[in-house]
Amino acid sequence: MSGHHISSAKFLWIIATSLFFLTFVTVAVTWINIPEPWNVVMAIAIACVKATLVLAFFMNLYWDSRFNTMLFIASIMFFFILIGITLLDTLFRVDPVPSF
Amino acid sequence: MSDTTTAEERKVQHVQHHFVDGEQQFETAKLGMWVFLVTEILFFGGLFAAYIVYRSWYPELYTMASTELDTFWGTVNTIVLIGSSLTVAMAIRSAQLNQIKGLIYNLYITIGLACTFMVIKYFEYAHKFEIGILPGRHYTYEGIAHEKANIFFSIYYMMTGLHGIHVIIGIGLMIWLVVKAKRNIFHSEYYTPVEITGLYWHLVDIIWIFLFPLLYLID
Repeated sequence: MSGHHISSAKFLWIIATSLFFLTFVTVAVTWINIPEPWNVVMAIAIACVKATLVLAFFMNLYWDSRFNTMLFIASIMFFFILIGITLLDTLFRVDPVPSF
Repeated sequence: MSDTTTAEERKVQHVQHHFVDGEQQFETAKLGMWVFLVTEILFFGGLFAAYIVYRSWYPELYTMASTELDTFWGTVNTIVLIGSSLTVAMAIRSAQLNQIKGLIYNLYITIGLACTFMVIKYFEYAHKFEIGILPGRHYTYEGIAHEKANIFFSIYYMMTGLHGIHVIIGIGLMIWLVVKAKRNIFHSEYYTPVEITGLYWHLVDIIWIFLFPLLYLID
């Protein structure tokens, strides 16, 4: 299996350090009060960058067969379909759920 | 002479007869794992959808209830999990380089970090149970002036609880890998279980990367 990508220890540490740093950033941005929708956007954006780092370089999608990346993207697309269609209902109800 | 034969045999003895070679077997196993991870993403996706729907209905509830969650311990747990992802990646690297000792050490550190995560989670849960923050209709805490406060915590317990179950399963898988590694089953040509457990562990990490800001950092 000589074809497998082997990351150097230094490279793995760089990715982990970036993830630690972004964790610090995502906590730090809550200290300055960013107005409403943008604090959520910021938090999600940082989480997406972190997830992408893990997917690409820890889970090796960057070097892997593109088919596995396609599977992952498909799952995210279906997740968005789930949220999208659900919100089309729940956002436009006159009376939200009555008892719970 | 006999030594080289056994080394040669060892290279191929893990390959099952229905695969062309070890490479094809490895790629097939990895593809299967990715299909499983897709179902995991959709599994958690349902809970994220519930989170989003309720947040769109009661945005003020989320900011109020989130103050009950300790950002400090949430941050510590995030760092612990990212650290464990690093050691899993290191474990895979050790296996690829035939360093079985390094593989076992990295797995031990990973198990240690995963247990640290669960211990912190235990103290967080225990504190909440004590003051009456329980899911659903068992909720008795008075500190949040919102009639739907129990809903936030039902979602909190479902999401972090399901994630915690995944961490516990991960610990079990790592122990299984240590046992296999000690029996000298893995080498640079065959480390598929390490690779695949690694993929699972990184996904558990990614889920937490989203849970942390969504639950702890909204106040």
